[in-house]
Amino acid sequence: MASVADTLSPALPPQRRLRPAISPVAWLAGPALLLFVVFFVLPFGVMALLSLLSGNPVQNPNVYPTTRHYARFLGDELYYDALWATLRIGLITTFFSLLIGYPLAHWMARMKSRLGHALLLMAVIAPMLTGIVVRTFAWMTILQDKGVINTTLAALGLIDGPLPLMYNEFGTIVALVHIYVPFMVLTLTGVIGRIDERLEQAARNLGASRLRAFAEVTLPLSLPGILAGSLLVFALAISAYVTPFLMGGTNVLTLPMLIYQQVSASFNLGFAGALGVILLAVSLVVVIAYNHVLARFSGQEGLT
Amino acid sequence: MTHFHHLTRRGALKAGAGATAAAIVGAPAILHAQTATLKITTWGGKWGEVMKGEVLPAFEKEFKCTVSADQAFPYVPKLQASPKSNPVYDVLHTNSNEQWNCVELGLVEAKLDHKKIPNIADVYPYAISDKIVGVSIFTSAIGLGYRTDKGLKKPTSWKDLADPALAGMRGGYIIPVNSLGQAHLMMLGKVYGKGFTDLDAAYKALEALKPIKLVDFTGQMEKMLLSGEVSMGVIHDSGIYRYDGQNQPIDFAIPSEGVLALEQVLNVTPGSKVKELAYAYINYMLRPDVQKKLSETVWYSPSNRKVNLDAKYDARLFNTEAKVAQLIQPDWKWYNARKEEIDLKVTRLLKG
Repeated sequence: MASVADTLSPALPPQRRLRPAISPVAWLAGPALLLFVVFFVLPFGVMALLSLLSGNPVQNPNVYPTTRHYARFLGDELYYDALWATLRIGLITTFFSLLIGYPLAHWMARMKSRLGHALLLMAVIAPMLTGIVVRTFAWMTILQDKGVINTTLAALGLIDGPLPLMYNEFGTIVALVHIYVPFMVLTLTGVIGRIDERLEQAARNLGASRLRAFAEVTLPLSLPGILAGSLLVFALAISAYVTPFLMGGTNVLTLPMLIYQQVSASFNLGFAGALGVILLAVSLVVVIAYNHVLARFSGQEGLT
Repeated sequence: MTHFHHLTRRGALKAGAGATAAAIVGAPAILHAQTATLKITTWGGKWGEVMKGEVLPAFEKEFKCTVSADQAFPYVPKLQASPKSNPVYDVLHTNSNEQWNCVELGLVEAKLDHKKIPNIADVYPYAISDKIVGVSIFTSAIGLGYRTDKGLKKPTSWKDLADPALAGMRGGYIIPVNSLGQAHLMMLGKVYGKGFTDLDAAYKALEALKPIKLVDFTGQMEKMLLSGEVSMGVIHDSGIYRYDGQNQPIDFAIPSEGVLALEQVLNVTPGSKVKELAYAYINYMLRPDVQKKLSETVWYSPSNRKVNLDAKYDARLFNTEAKVAQLIQPDWKWYNARKEEIDLKVTRLLKG
């Protein structure tokens, strides 16, 4: 581009000509960048700012900087427990979504029949067309004490009292996995579909078993998809509010639940902001660690 | 014609100035009346249907304005995020506990101007008592809802919820986010301890209710009772009576220790640009015909003494001096001042 600029404007002063020109294609990223700034950077900035102030400056001009919201978090084990529960639920949900999603995505990606592929794709996408609240309520009718499973088992005389399927982390994770598996499948299908099948065939021709060919060829090549899908599901699971609230009962307390309580019932935007910043910071650490672990398994080129 | 002979230049100027002044003074009122928008909050569900279908259109027609009604809870954080001089609502409708939060935050008037609400003269004393910020337009009564098909005796005391036979089948609320749960906690202090402020006794009694199923809002408790997921739970009378005629095996019990008032409170925001209209709306909501309509839609007890309810509502709702005397109004100012500490304590108690 610089040489084109030289040819077109030889009279420009040297320092002007040395400036790198912005590719016209880069301008296309402008709207996306603007959206990112307006819908992420600004709200996050406001949240981070509120977490360091004694009140809301829109309402009260006499607010002052403070770290008391962070000190409050550090001063009570209940908040650590909530953070750990949030991460634990996020990690387990991601693990099971991957476990269920990978074979399904692999099957979809390798399917020869177009009709079969379309039907599978519809089956994966269909649940996403109903709201999370509806899907969570559906799980409630299945897992609650008077739900389908417990009532059936009781009617068959197999159980005396209801099995603890809901009002705990188990029920929460079951519902979350169901809700987020499509995100994993859709992300993985695209990546696995782009892996050249002949690589796997070559490995088989060289004497590798089907399992070894998968483990040493297909799986490493699909790591970028695993990374993207896992990050997506993990991010969605740790920020889930409705499902843990409805499925968890008294036994589940996550940071998004605490944040909602602070905003909606305690009207403490500062503490809610601090909880949000902490959740984001800890999640970033987990994500970076996960990225490093996967990079080590795949070699650097695997994740590019 | 004589008029024109006496019309001097000075006189004409005076008359013109007078007319202009009258126009300046009068015009905004007229313009306001024609174009003003009143921003309010209101509930959804059946209440919202009647409000949006009948009550609000009639108000708009009578007061030549438009009403913008927000049904997306929670309202207070939205009000909190808007500038005080240009609030997102003119009239805030919430339960009583949140109005106390709002007055602390300077988001609503500490005291309404009763002269601008003529119908306030007809309300029961509880509606404007010192436990209320604003005015309570309706109340429901928090007591015990129970299944009638589980062989349970009709509860007569709050202590009946602790019956060991109800382990895992009793229902309560996530106390940090639900005012029924908060009111119930205060009631536990009264029933098991020295009074509504006896938190130690309340915590102990609350722990004894484990295992208990907790929900975040009353609609969810209604579903739990209807599906048999809980056999007895803390709920307001409206949440049970609204299924009247649907042949549901649920009923409402008034414990002997009393029921707690769940007031529907209206208040004006100090920065409202249409305060007169805001007051007119509150007065309108207290009119006997409007009160009757809404009472008989969602089984809320009207605040206005002059409301004549149909027989079946009259028999159950709190609409006489003797009946409203049974209502206990929680001291929300006291509770809100301790909310943070209580939230932590009860979350820890009920978790795991």
